[in-house]
Amino acid sequence: MGSPCHFALFELKPAFVLDLAQLATRYRELARSVHPDRFADGSEREQRLALEHSASLNEAYQVLKNTSARARYLLSLSGSELPLEVTVQDPAFLLQQMQLREELEDLQDSADLAGVEAFKQRLKLAQNELNQQFAGCWDVPASREQAERLVRRMQFLDKLSYEVRQLEERLDD
Amino acid sequence: MALLQIAEPGQSPQPHQRRLAVGIDLGTTNSLVAAVRSGLAEALPDAEGRLLMPSAVRYHAQQIEVGQSAKQAAAQDPLNTVLSVKRLMGRGLADVKQLGEQLPYRFVGGESHMPFIDTVQGPKSPVEVSADILKVLRQRAEATLGGELVGAVITVPAYFDEAQRQATKDAARLAGLNVLRLLNEPTAAAVAYGLDQQAEGLVAIYDLGGGTFDISILRLTGGVFEVLATGGDSALGGDDFDHAIAGWIIAEAGLSTDIAPGQQRSLLHSACVAKEALSAAESVTVKHGDWSGELNRQQFVELIEPMVARSLKACRRAVRDAGIELLEVEAVVMVGGSTRVPRVREAVAELFARQPLTDIDPDQVVAIGAAIQADTLAGNKRDGEELLLLDVIPLSLGLETMGGLLEKVIPRNTTIPVARAQDFTTYKDGQTAMMIHVLQGERELISDCRSLARFELRGIPPMVAGSAKIRVTFQVDADGLLSVAARELGSGVEATIQVKPSYGLTDGEVARMLQDSFKFASDDKVARVLREQQVDAERLLVAVQAALQMDGERLLEACERAEIELQMRLLSELMVGSDGAAIEQQTKRVTQVTDAFAARRLDATVKAGLAGRRLNEIEE
Repeated sequence: MGSPCHFALFELKPAFVLDLAQLATRYRELARSVHPDRFADGSEREQRLALEHSASLNEAYQVLKNTSARARYLLSLSGSELPLEVTVQDPAFLLQQMQLREELEDLQDSADLAGVEAFKQRLKLAQNELNQQFAGCWDVPASREQAERLVRRMQFLDKLSYEVRQLEERLDD
Repeated sequence: MALLQIAEPGQSPQPHQRRLAVGIDLGTTNSLVAAVRSGLAEALPDAEGRLLMPSAVRYHAQQIEVGQSAKQAAAQDPLNTVLSVKRLMGRGLADVKQLGEQLPYRFVGGESHMPFIDTVQGPKSPVEVSADILKVLRQRAEATLGGELVGAVITVPAYFDEAQRQATKDAARLAGLNVLRLLNEPTAAAVAYGLDQQAEGLVAIYDLGGGTFDISILRLTGGVFEVLATGGDSALGGDDFDHAIAGWIIAEAGLSTDIAPGQQRSLLHSACVAKEALSAAESVTVKHGDWSGELNRQQFVELIEPMVARSLKACRRAVRDAGIELLEVEAVVMVGGSTRVPRVREAVAELFARQPLTDIDPDQVVAIGAAIQADTLAGNKRDGEELLLLDVIPLSLGLETMGGLLEKVIPRNTTIPVARAQDFTTYKDGQTAMMIHVLQGERELISDCRSLARFELRGIPPMVAGSAKIRVTFQVDADGLLSVAARELGSGVEATIQVKPSYGLTDGEVARMLQDSFKFASDDKVARVLREQQVDAERLLVAVQAALQMDGERLLEACERAEIELQMRLLSELMVGSDGAAIEQQTKRVTQVTDAFAARRLDATVKAGLAGRRLNEIEE
């Protein structure tokens, strides 16, 4: 829809490693200048524009502050849009995923809260590892395929951490 | 004249004259209005010096009575006196019937989904009743401040859904108020505290009012109030404490549960008096008619414990949603009259491992925060001084997809304003129209979510199935109100609606929207109901199957098991068919034959839990 690049909105060069605290500060400054509240007195047109600007700022911030969304966005900037749901041609990873999922089911059956906590820590480590690998290869054209695989892996882990949260919710009764 | 008033946005045209704007807390039990005067935000008193006005409206044939005197008349004139109307805002007749046994009114439901309360002045909608409360507050403000209001910030529970927000905004308009902003109550409280204490960092706002509970987690940074997550329960509050005590009185006094409206009111009144007394006293004598009994704090704590636990669960969820840990929260602010209950304070202190803040009167803090924001929005602040509130949507917004499932377009706790688009396609060759069904909620099945609107995109050029590209865009503005647009990208055919609850029938858009849905309603509905029945049946079968596998051997006689398996087989056969009624009936049948089994499993779990062991350990 012809909207500017999310990074450009924050006056940043496309990069995977970002200073999130700085991003947050910049976001607050920008939000202050475009939020519809600033134009409560303004014309209908001004209010509409403020609404649109604010919405695209919020969207950009959502994408940039989330690691895997940022990774996916970076790849979409330098090539075709990644399809969200693809079978991962990555048997070793898939096997590992299945094992993790089974583990999670066991944790649910045994309502093991300490186990869930430990599981979360491991998940976090796995995510960090993916992030590091991605940081090293996303802007190398020859490693494009590897980068795409890493993004899909990130998405799998995102889904898994979502399931962990849902499990926590179910156990919280 | 108007041409000469040139001013920068956000700046007052006449620097020395403040523009009058107020904050209004339209509460379940009490309402109040506040304004910034000489740089200080304070609640405005009525002629008798009272700040709180009971949210009570009594309808006489020729006049309307609002506030304290109306509240006092509630027991003698229950049918014409409306209390706690906030609980009815944006609700359909069906929702209200769920609350029904607690409410003494006569409801009349017309063609619209809106519940009308039958009074001597004729049927009154909750929006009108709320508007009558707001009118009195507006008059109070204009009399005290000495001038006409530029506008008002009205607060709503963060957990209010789309329909409830829209209803509130309409009530304000009906009362002749220009709504500068709908502001979430916890955010308003954060503003009052944050500015007062120059606070920075992570703050939790625990807001337990008369009828609603909200929890919000915010990050405060240099005048920016960023809501990270919000949650709660729009049907949990101090009123429920009263009902719990009333239930206790009924049981203790051996009263019949079939109670006349007037008696119910006085019962609830006795309950409320007892509750308030227990905030200070260890034990109170409760009187109801000729009966009297002793209620101590421990008993009261036991009565309300399930509700307190519900609120804490919502707190934990909000903290998880915010992506933080409980112990990272640096301050907990208590809002709402019900946080005066000692057990509530104690439970919150335990959860967050810190004493909650109660320095600003919990009844006034929301209105004060709203007044500060109103002052900013009216343009009375200089550049850079203004605060900025970044709020979120409390519930996910989405669309119905095939199979009656909800496809989330904007997840809950997304910062507003927000716009997001999703592409869909046609599923039949030559399809020229597409129904768009907008819903709000967290559940997978649309039947568990709140339906906000249906409309139709027409005039799609006939194409092969799957080749049209229909982009549906959701936009939520800073008030948290939604509009939805659908557009076929190839032809540019477009349809847009502002989502409004069904009482706005005069509005052309809504009328059209309803008309559209009527045409499709009947067969659409049958299909949906069938799908729900199938899903229910399936869920039950899966659950029973799993239970049989786990505990069937141990807990069932052979013939019991055979009966269960027979009924299950019958259900799985019916399930693939399209006879909804038969599926429903057989689902019930399976539930019946497994009741005893379920009870035994529960017992076994409880026993195992008591022994501190798990089920599988016992088996061995």
